[in-house]
Amino acid sequence: MRKGLIQATDSFERIVHWSLAVSCLILCLSGLGMMFHSLNFLGEPFGGLKSLKYIHNITALFFILALFFTVSMWWKEAGVFVFPEDLDWIKCAGGYLWHVDKVPEVGKYNPGQKMFFLVVAAGGVAMIFSGLIMLFPLHIPAMIVRLMYLIHAAGFVAIFAFFFIHLYLGTVGSPGSLPAMLTGWVSRPWLKKQHAKWLKEMEEHGTLVVYGEEKSSSHGHHG
Amino acid sequence: MAEYVKLIDVSKCTGCRGCQLACKQWNAQPAKQTENHGTYQNPPDLQANTWTLIRFQEIEEKDGKLKWLFRKDGCMHCTDAACVKVCPSGALYVTDIGTVGLNRDLCIGCKECISACPFDIPRYDRKTDKVYKCDLCLSRIKADLIPACAKACPTGAITFGEKGKMIEKAYARAKELGGDASVYGDKFVGGTHVMYVLDEKPGVYEHLPKSPSVPLSVILWKDIMKPLSLLAAGGVIAGSFLHYIIHGPKLPDEETGQEQKGGE
Amino acid sequence: MTNHWIDIRNSDVILIMGSNPASNHPIAFKWITAAMEKGAKVICVDPRFTQSAAKSHIYAPLRSGTDIAFLGGMIKYILDNKLYFEEYVRNYTNATFLVNPDLKLPGDNNGVFSGLTDGKYDKSTWSYQTEGDGRIKKDPTMQDPNCVFQLLKKHYSRYTPEVVNQVTGTPVDKLIEIYKLYGSTGTKDRSAVELYAMGWTQHTVGTQNIRTMCMIQLLLGNMGVPGGGVAAMRGESNVQGSTDHGLLFHIWPGYLGTPKASLATLAAYLEKETPSTKEPNSLNWWKNKPKYVASFLRAMYGTNVTLDEAYNLLPKIDDGANYSWLNLFDQMYKGKFTGFFAWGMNPACSGAHSNKVRQAMTRLDWLVNVNLFDNETGSFWRGPGMDPKKIKTEVFLLPCAASIEKEGSIINSGRWNQWRYKAINPPGVALPDGDITSEIYFKVKGLYEKEGGPNADAITKLSWNYGPKTFDGHFHFDPHAVAKEINGVFLEDKTVENPTKPGEFKEFKKGDPVPTFAWLQDDGSTSSGCWVYCGSYTDKNMSARREGKKDPTGIGLYPEWAWAWPVNRRILYNGASVDPEGNPWSAKKAAIKWSGDKWVGDVPDGAGNPGSGRPPFIMKPDGVASIFGPGLADGPFPEHYEPLECPVEKNVLSPQKNNPTIKRFDKPGVGSDLDVYSGVDSCDPKYPFICATYRISEHWQTGVLTRWCPWLAEMQPEMWCEMSKELAKERGISNGDKVIVSSPRGQVECVAIVTPRFKPFNIDGNILHEVGIPWHFGWITTKDRSYNPGDKKAEVFTRGDAANLLVPTIGDANTTIPESKAFMVNVVKK
Repeated sequence: MRKGLIQATDSFERIVHWSLAVSCLILCLSGLGMMFHSLNFLGEPFGGLKSLKYIHNITALFFILALFFTVSMWWKEAGVFVFPEDLDWIKCAGGYLWHVDKVPEVGKYNPGQKMFFLVVAAGGVAMIFSGLIMLFPLHIPAMIVRLMYLIHAAGFVAIFAFFFIHLYLGTVGSPGSLPAMLTGWVSRPWLKKQHAKWLKEMEEHGTLVVYGEEKSSSHGHHG
Repeated sequence: MAEYVKLIDVSKCTGCRGCQLACKQWNAQPAKQTENHGTYQNPPDLQANTWTLIRFQEIEEKDGKLKWLFRKDGCMHCTDAACVKVCPSGALYVTDIGTVGLNRDLCIGCKECISACPFDIPRYDRKTDKVYKCDLCLSRIKADLIPACAKACPTGAITFGEKGKMIEKAYARAKELGGDASVYGDKFVGGTHVMYVLDEKPGVYEHLPKSPSVPLSVILWKDIMKPLSLLAAGGVIAGSFLHYIIHGPKLPDEETGQEQKGGE
Repeated sequence: MTNHWIDIRNSDVILIMGSNPASNHPIAFKWITAAMEKGAKVICVDPRFTQSAAKSHIYAPLRSGTDIAFLGGMIKYILDNKLYFEEYVRNYTNATFLVNPDLKLPGDNNGVFSGLTDGKYDKSTWSYQTEGDGRIKKDPTMQDPNCVFQLLKKHYSRYTPEVVNQVTGTPVDKLIEIYKLYGSTGTKDRSAVELYAMGWTQHTVGTQNIRTMCMIQLLLGNMGVPGGGVAAMRGESNVQGSTDHGLLFHIWPGYLGTPKASLATLAAYLEKETPSTKEPNSLNWWKNKPKYVASFLRAMYGTNVTLDEAYNLLPKIDDGANYSWLNLFDQMYKGKFTGFFAWGMNPACSGAHSNKVRQAMTRLDWLVNVNLFDNETGSFWRGPGMDPKKIKTEVFLLPCAASIEKEGSIINSGRWNQWRYKAINPPGVALPDGDITSEIYFKVKGLYEKEGGPNADAITKLSWNYGPKTFDGHFHFDPHAVAKEINGVFLEDKTVENPTKPGEFKEFKKGDPVPTFAWLQDDGSTSSGCWVYCGSYTDKNMSARREGKKDPTGIGLYPEWAWAWPVNRRILYNGASVDPEGNPWSAKKAAIKWSGDKWVGDVPDGAGNPGSGRPPFIMKPDGVASIFGPGLADGPFPEHYEPLECPVEKNVLSPQKNNPTIKRFDKPGVGSDLDVYSGVDSCDPKYPFICATYRISEHWQTGVLTRWCPWLAEMQPEMWCEMSKELAKERGISNGDKVIVSSPRGQVECVAIVTPRFKPFNIDGNILHEVGIPWHFGWITTKDRSYNPGDKKAEVFTRGDAANLLVPTIGDANTTIPESKAFMVNVVKK
């Protein structure tokens, strides 16, 4: 580990994130296996489609748990927009889509990430709710159950699409991001570029953790 | 193979329930403990072990005239079968005689067909984690026999035959009966392979939808959402690629430059 | 049935009254439906709106036990509106006969006919006026005030629609609508059939219910014609066969009367039993009775004894004694029996006043229960309210084969004898009934031979050539041997004159089958176990015929399918389907036709050569059908009487409330402490509701077979009581509630089925309720009884006990069948 890296996430956050990500991925894949006859083969390694159903249902439990922690953990940081800077950021799409001279500085999470979080949170809740009703439909009016299938499908469309955006931006689309969720340590330049305000806040509040330095240091310097 | 239709002429049904029993016998479905709930109808509803059922219905008309309706309920074997549309595993399928078959080995017990069916027919069994419904005695038909219920029916209320002929027969009978009599089944969901001659208006019968259709939500889900999900995923992947090659990744600025740029 | 099942499709009007074929004879409805498809109208008259009512064009409610009032009103309507078939009535019925002017009709005689003393009629005034040579005086114009037709008119003139409505509760407009429709079949081309079952027989006026209908059918010319007749739909697949073969105490096989003790010799018996007539043209077929009696005696004892000895050996009935069901169990209750074979029966549930029946069995030393399963009879000693320690009766269960586990024949309601083959072997040690009977017979015979005993020859001399002893020492009964014996054989070489072609002779060898009953002899040279079946097993087993599917007449006779008694005749009395010149009344519906030298179509019944003047009802001494019927115990014309237990204070039609000739069991010397009734003289507010028992598709008889069948138990798992919404409201009962239905004799727990299919009756201004209960349940297949280790439990339990626990011990005046279709109960919420 290079000295001077800044801690962006702690291990709990990373565990929750990956629990959510992995369970979501499994749910998507097992769901796909049940959604398209041409993808029924996804169940084969597990002994058939029925196993895929069980995998989907059991994974959903992990997903529910992960989503619970995700939401409770990030709700305040990622669930609330801060004005006016978030609006400004949105106006220029965070500089992702066209050249922007000056991207407004944002805190720990930019509005794009916040939106992603909200989609995941709301979509996840919708998926859990609709999924539970789909799992126990027998005493619920068919009209409602049918609606749940629609919601589950719509949720899937959104989550599946966002999943790829997240994947892209978390890797090649924004080099330097990935370590934040792998090791938890990011470079100062990356942090400054992506979350300058947060860096400042941490520096001001003395909460900045720099690898190889005392935590209490108020002004970290690149070594 | 030609399409076949089972025609149920309720005007000839006496509610003897021979069909209900014959169905259980041929399909080796066990009986379960029941109670009398103040009606002859028992089991009270279709069940995983009861694929057809006579529904007893009493109607008192305004002029004091009483009617006691007997309707054999069970799978209608739609041409546009919502259950087949939603079935993830292919357990429900359209047979070569146009009926809806059920390959129970493939059923994963997801219950999606239960909510999709406009006639509320499939039933789930917790023990086997599978769904059950009438398959119109496909095994009998393949052996050149008529469905067990039709075979058992003493009055000729249940008949089975080639689709065109049965539709013709149904209309002839409805005309003969006159009044409110009508043919039920050929005008919706692409035409059902179980049809009724009803001697009352369709809306009169309990648990019989007046104009059933493949639910809109099922069409939205299977015909729109399914392709859309692929489109969206594909679009995102393609968009990301385009973004990468056009806009390029968002790299952190050089330390100093960035500091200058981003300075207050 | 006078006709047969398929023939129902030839009817223009079908009256369903006293039955519910849609539920209880479901296959019959195939033919009712076929008739409807050809335009027939169906009428259903029933206290309850039944499945049959649901399929009928007209439904009319009627209070249980008032059928004669309803039908009497119809007779009046037919006569008043001249709807009767005059030519038929004049030529083929006794309407023209002049009756003894001393006869008094109930309208002029306080509700009873002349001759009543001590509950029994002296029938001397129920006679005909005769000419000097003994011939009956007739008035072909039917105008003489003493002729049957005018008496009929007079008798039923009291049955106005308004009076009928007061009695039955049937709305007047429904009465008229039905009378009009049914009466419309009094023409040559139209015919109507009546379908009845236990709904008509199980009344104190049961026989007269059916007779009233017979009279209507005669008035309308509906007897003997295709699509006509009075159809007794049997409740058990072979009950027709068992009746033909002497099941009932008062008849030998073939409807030969059981001899009374006072008829000490065969000659005396034949003298008394063989009818004679002075009518010159009448064939009087029963004059052949000595031939049938002789052949029957030969079938019993072969040539082991003489005919006279055989007659002496057979048991006789004490003069005036009645050995019907109610009396048997009354005697059993009084300890008059040592042992009892309950063979294919479940009296603990099927017997009226089942509590008395169950108690009666405690007085036995032994009981043999021959059945497929243990039942409430075999296990009566551990049933509800029984203390096994206090019961001495030793019970044996002999498991027997089911119908599909043995070969033999059954006779359906249409008198078709149909051979059936064994499908599978009986399970375990179960044996066909015939094997069991043979086994017992040879054991008993051995004991008599060894130890002797009273009238031992009656057993030891029996002819019993029904199959050999098998290698294991048991007797296997051969149904073909029995069928051949029933048909009859020549017992010696004999040359016999052809009964239908005088002057022509035929030679028979010993052992040759008798071709038809016309060839039977009175000298002991032929045997026949049941003369009406003679011809059923000749050179071939006629009842096994299945290959012939021809219907040459087009009216569904199918003469080459199976075999119908008598002589393969499909429509009884078909001689009445042609006019006196031999032309069918209806060309479209011709049962028989004269081809110029012989009759074609069905086997002709009673039809002489056209123009011969022979009246067609040849089983009646005078050759015509009886509109006036002096043969019955309770009157030559049916008269409405209220059921013994009834909800009305008075008989609207006369001061005589009940049938005066019924035998009550609550009188000193008859019956017992258990025989109690309610509301006989005056209504009993403790039991305010009318109750009738009935059957359903899903169960059979007392349910001994069906309650064990899980699929059937699943469909009808529980005893119920159907009642109107109005009654339920009055008693605070909701649909599906548990209720207790009680009579003075017992109580049954039921589930309430509250339904608009029962409606309160407005009887002469009073609102009366009727309820209905099925009779198929019994405690042995219930869950909450005590089980011994190893006891079989039903896969699907049923709930509830026998409906007959409530039924009174009162019987019809002629047959003593219990009145289970109209008695009084109370219903309370449990």
